[in-house]
Amino acid sequence: MARPDSDPVLKALNITKSFGALQVLHGVSLEINSGKTVSILGPSGSGKSTLLRCINWLERPNSGEIYLDGEPVGRHPNGELMSDRELAAIRARMGKVFQSFNLWPHFTVLENVIEAPVQVLGVPKAQAIEQAEQLLQKVGLQDKRDVYPYSLSGGQKQRVAIARALAMSPRVMLFDEPTSALDPELVGEVLAVMRDLTREGMTMLVVTHEMAFARDVSDEVIFMDQGEIVEQTTPDRFFSNPETRRAQQFLARYQ
Amino acid sequence: MTADGFQMLLEGAWITVWISLLAIALGVPLGLLFSLIRVSRLPVLSQIITLYVSVGRATPLITLVLFLFVALPAIGLDIDKYTASVLTLTLNTASFNTEIWRSTYLSFPKSQIEAAQAMGMTRGLYFRRIMLPQMFYTALPALLNEMTFLIKASPAIAVVGIVDLTRVTNRIASQTYEPLPPIIIAGVIYMLSIGSLVRLQRVLEDRRKRYASA
Ligand SMILES: Nc1ncnc2c1ncn2[C@@H]1O[C@H](COP(=O)(O)OP(=O)(O)O)[C@@H](O)[C@H]1O
Ligand SMILES: [Mg+2]
Repeated sequence: MARPDSDPVLKALNITKSFGALQVLHGVSLEINSGKTVSILGPSGSGKSTLLRCINWLERPNSGEIYLDGEPVGRHPNGELMSDRELAAIRARMGKVFQSFNLWPHFTVLENVIEAPVQVLGVPKAQAIEQAEQLLQKVGLQDKRDVYPYSLSGGQKQRVAIARALAMSPRVMLFDEPTSALDPELVGEVLAVMRDLTREGMTMLVVTHEMAFARDVSDEVIFMDQGEIVEQTTPDRFFSNPETRRAQQFLARYQ
Repeated sequence: MTADGFQMLLEGAWITVWISLLAIALGVPLGLLFSLIRVSRLPVLSQIITLYVSVGRATPLITLVLFLFVALPAIGLDIDKYTASVLTLTLNTASFNTEIWRSTYLSFPKSQIEAAQAMGMTRGLYFRRIMLPQMFYTALPALLNEMTFLIKASPAIAVVGIVDLTRVTNRIASQTYEPLPPIIIAGVIYMLSIGSLVRLQRVLEDRRKRYASA
């Protein structure tokens, strides 16, 4: 069902999350419209990863609502928890890229990329391979299709992980510090792929410490601190004229 | 040693081998099944498995096989000595394998599971496609170790009248009054059986090296 472009692809409403006595998210809300890239910045421990994990229910929020294309994620409108199967079906429409790549080591690069399309979506294998080859070309790794992940560099692993997520044709891509585990000289190749995705109109939510990326590529910046959104504005305004003291202090450390 | 004695040894060896192999072939998947019940924390069933594992690991094989051979007929279940033996070895090895599979399951990297979940895989699908193929290789050394223990412990089943490789050496010795030759031959056969398991392990480890650097 086609939706008007003005409806957000992803919407989170008042998400709260605690681990035992520690409250990590204090009612976080955000929206991303189709084709937009939103960067989430904030000091470590501010709840960025937890927020991303709540969005596709790798972590169950204590309260709040999440919608993908207007459909609830994790809970039915009557409050009932979704089954494993229902949750899987909705997660299949969100791509996620992890800080530590999380490739499946027993599969080759190509097998990593075709696994979910074939097993989850039921795409015929030949067609999945053709699509995977295009994606590997896009991330510059077509010559690595038959090697196992252990033989790749961090930057190459992360590009495979991006191709793997893209193979599901997701509505939105969630990135959790995709370059934080990389040697400095490998960061650029991953950011380049992400820039291409933005340009092609992918909808992206990116947790990052790459200030240049956030400034140049995103349509919106969200600054989180201590489990809440402190500022939510355009990159220009955030970087040239942060409103809160917390954001100013944060930026001072990165510039 | 006579040709007759040699023939008897081979028959005893054959019995040891098929009973052990059958117990292994049943005990490995059974251990996997039990371990999954345990980690699933299914009420009652999971507690039964926990009890079974502690009893199974603590009970000597002789006690177990005698118990089955005597107790089951007493409650009206006819059981021959071969069934009792296979059942004994299977129940014993499965209790050890349950713990091997369980710790392999619990140590599986969460990061890979999260990637699978994030890609829209259901629990059953990622268990089958992502976890099990890797768990197999991780569990292999411990499983093969347990198999060698099983083979070495298998002479216990002679107590219900099975003439296995060890029992047959006693018979030959008591006929020929020359105990050494059959004992040596039996020793060699045990070593060959266990050696072939070790060899199998190497072959499978080499297959795993395809995707693991070490
Ligand atoms: N599974 C967990 N159990 C307990 N505490 C957690 C867990 N995950 C995260 N936390 C805590 O929640 C806080 C926010 O963590 P996180 O979302 O990873 O922050 P960020 O990604 O911004 O660095 C931290 O204090 C962290 O220690
Ligand atoms: Mg984080």
